[in-house]
Amino acid sequence: MTDKVTVRVQRYRPEEDAAPWEQSFEVPYSEDLSILDALNQIKDQQDPTLSHRWSCRMAICGSCGVMVNNEPRLACKTFLRDYRDRGPVQVRALDNFPIERDLVSDISGLVEHLETVQPWLIRARESPVGEGAYLQTPEQMQRYAAFGQCINCGLCYAACPQFGRDPAFLGPGALALAQRYNLDSRDEGAAQRMQWLNADVGVWSCTFVGYCSEVCPKDVDPAAAINRGKVASDLNYAVNLFNILRGKDNA
Amino acid sequence: MRKPYVQRQRADWWLRNPAYRRYMLREATALPLLLYALLLMSGLYQFTRGEAAFLAWLALLRSPWLLALHGLALAAAQYHAVTWIALVPKILVIDSDRLRVSPATVQRVHQLGAVTCNAGLLVLALLLLRAAGGY
Amino acid sequence: MNFQQADMVIVGGGGAGLRAAIAAAEANPRLDILLLSKVYPMRSHTVAAEGGCAGVIQPHDSFDAHFDDTVSGGDWLCDQDVVDYFVRHATEENLRLEHWGCPWSRKPDGSINVRAFGGMKIERTWFAADKSGFHILHTLFQTSLKYPSIRRCDEYFCTDLLVEDGACAGIQAIDMRNGSHTVIAASAVILATGGAARVYRYNTNGGIVTGDGMALAYRQGVPLRDMEFVQYHPTGLPGSGILITEAARGEGGVLTNRDGYRYLQDYGLGPETPLGEPRNKYMELGPRDRLSQAFWHEAQAGRALATRRGEAVNLDLRHLGEARINERLPFIRELARTYVNVDAVYEPIPVRPTAHYTMGGIQTDRHTATALPGLFAAGECASVGLHGANRLGSNSLAELGVFGRVAGEQAAARAGQGPVLDPQRLLAQAEDNAARLDALRESSGSESLAAIRDAMARAMEEGAGIFRLPGQLQQTCTAIAELKERYRKLGLVDRSRAFNTEWLNAIELGYLLDVAEAMAHAALARQESRGSHQRPEDFPRRDDAQFLKHSLVYRAADVPRLDWQDVVITRSQPAERHYGDAGQQEAKP
Repeated sequence: MTDKVTVRVQRYRPEEDAAPWEQSFEVPYSEDLSILDALNQIKDQQDPTLSHRWSCRMAICGSCGVMVNNEPRLACKTFLRDYRDRGPVQVRALDNFPIERDLVSDISGLVEHLETVQPWLIRARESPVGEGAYLQTPEQMQRYAAFGQCINCGLCYAACPQFGRDPAFLGPGALALAQRYNLDSRDEGAAQRMQWLNADVGVWSCTFVGYCSEVCPKDVDPAAAINRGKVASDLNYAVNLFNILRGKDNA
Repeated sequence: MRKPYVQRQRADWWLRNPAYRRYMLREATALPLLLYALLLMSGLYQFTRGEAAFLAWLALLRSPWLLALHGLALAAAQYHAVTWIALVPKILVIDSDRLRVSPATVQRVHQLGAVTCNAGLLVLALLLLRAAGGY
Repeated sequence: MNFQQADMVIVGGGGAGLRAAIAAAEANPRLDILLLSKVYPMRSHTVAAEGGCAGVIQPHDSFDAHFDDTVSGGDWLCDQDVVDYFVRHATEENLRLEHWGCPWSRKPDGSINVRAFGGMKIERTWFAADKSGFHILHTLFQTSLKYPSIRRCDEYFCTDLLVEDGACAGIQAIDMRNGSHTVIAASAVILATGGAARVYRYNTNGGIVTGDGMALAYRQGVPLRDMEFVQYHPTGLPGSGILITEAARGEGGVLTNRDGYRYLQDYGLGPETPLGEPRNKYMELGPRDRLSQAFWHEAQAGRALATRRGEAVNLDLRHLGEARINERLPFIRELARTYVNVDAVYEPIPVRPTAHYTMGGIQTDRHTATALPGLFAAGECASVGLHGANRLGSNSLAELGVFGRVAGEQAAARAGQGPVLDPQRLLAQAEDNAARLDALRESSGSESLAAIRDAMARAMEEGAGIFRLPGQLQQTCTAIAELKERYRKLGLVDRSRAFNTEWLNAIELGYLLDVAEAMAHAALARQESRGSHQRPEDFPRRDDAQFLKHSLVYRAADVPRLDWQDVVITRSQPAERHYGDAGQQEAKP
């Protein structure tokens, strides 16, 4: 006798459906079974028309973000054993993104936001590689290390009601990425990136709900990144104001 | 054929998750404080209308409803302050090659500041009360 | 049918593809460069590489030493001119990544730190904790955004190479969002599609690693080279096959059998090194082929642990202590906790060998050019001649930089002066391909996709695994042929176009079967044991007289055609491979 678990999967087939609906599947339970394993099992053996994204199975590629019982989760890092005795497990496409099909979200908005914040090392002068590596102590690296762990899975965007309200909001991932470079001792681009922090869709659109940091599977703490961005934005404002008052308007 | 389904944010989104409810509770701490501010302003207004009006306003303050509002406003302010200070070390990071202050210190300074301000206000109130003849 | 024109197109957005795109954009900023991938670039499997990236940096190290380790590690099947070029350019590529922001782990003074790795005599593995591939990939992706001439087609699935007048003239792809077919005309095409270890049942690879580029080239008559050489990584998690980096051993982790005995000393890798003092090219820092083979023997002798996820040995990190594990191996700790419920600080991690890397691939010359003019290949999908019969850990991430750049520059040079392409002829070709693909989507045969895929993975594991036994290898060849036959009778359920992953998986299965066929037949033809290709029963020895040669597999109507190509030997004559004390005695100038 094998134990079975009921998984309720959201379906949306753009060529047939007007709106998403829910389909139930029974999956044989095992202790190691992740939500991703369950979805693959359903696709292989029960309904090949189910579409979902996945690749690495080890929580590093960022493909398999879904809502599990209304929480944003990586399917490969979420296990059915943690949902036993709590009734059926519900799996939906990530909140706040358009649904391309079934569990596949249209994340192009997220990727555009990442591209916006100039996420590359900016230097006034780039040294030739012949001169060797830029020095950076472990302490200096530590200052941006957490913000550099983002796998772009989009869970924080699904967790962010401000992004849900306004998809133009650059959002937790992109703003954390901007801070990752701003806080890198090798980078000199913070002034250029300030326009994105300061923008209407920048850090001030964040009301510090903080749920983004709770759901982050890589402990990036984007809420901290954004709110540190607010401190930087304030300082920038104060400095500009001071310069204007001294007649050195650089605006 | 492509036809992405756009998910609209539901009006009750903030009821649907404990994290959102905690957030809204924190945001809602502004409401008792708003009422409290209105109450103080009405006192000021009564004061400008003369002694009798002001005394009537003072008497009104003794109503259980308004005592409850005071308690609620105090609790809200404390909750807001405590949760705020808990987050400060993550936001106010002083860590550069020249100056480094540990997150624990940043937090302690804020806690100390909050306690000092609260205690200061309390002492000030007691002093004023005594000066006013122990009303 | 959509039509687009580009100066050059790169298929695959992993480390090699991104590096090629950047190199091309820098070589000629006027080029219109199209980077096409079936996933968003940061999903590419480069992301899962953990341990690090080779490059000579220490004062007491030398290019010659890196060369020698690579050539002997590859059991002398490496093209030595290629290895020479590689070792001389790996460090500059690592530095370039650093200048683009890659957070390589540092020494306290801020300079680059390196760690020990299997088969490397001197520490030369640059690392970013144990997420080296993740940081390399994200650095390259983010840096690529700087170049306006790099356009991306994310989630476009490449289905065909287009060939006109004997030269590559572009590619054809499916836009996954709506299932429509697209032609992209370009006079230079780079394949950077990664490996194919998904042909095996237990592997470290992501679901996307299905040998697409290898099969695409193979179908156009380009030979696949050295396909019999598939690396089993000695330490994957039992059950899932998830990778536990070699750096765990580089940092001092040890392997023990069910008796707590460090069994590697019985396999020519000893004597036992003291706990916490790993020694290069000894014991756990031997090469991957030897370690995986030692596991097999231990399991045969009944000295492996029986876990509910299958047979395993223990990888013990406990003596490293929590602080060092958190600093150097935080991801390993997270993976072991999540996937086998083991905290590496307090318990050993169960591990077993799993298929990891395809040493072989699309045959290229040392400038990454394939036999088809206009077609280039780089990274794991290519066989540029670097890895020989066994790759050393951390050489493949370095390869992405070195040969990704070469491919980008070579393709850019051709794109600048390529022939003028005739859209009508390409479209005519593409319509035929589209008809074939759409017929597949609507196929209503009796065979199930998952059943064929699983049967293939089992057959490869049985006959073309760590040890290739005579009867089983032949059976695998037969089984693959049968599965290709069954594939023709595939039945699909999903008739839709929008993000139809059943359809795309079916195309991928076609790729996998082609690659599996090439691997199995190359393994059958190589009647010797060398590096990762071991035939202990019928051909237990290396045979330089006959097989100091690259195998070439050409697609043919029935069974693939085999041919052989000389290995380029410049200064290192084939010798016995020795590790442990035996290697020490041999290592004379």
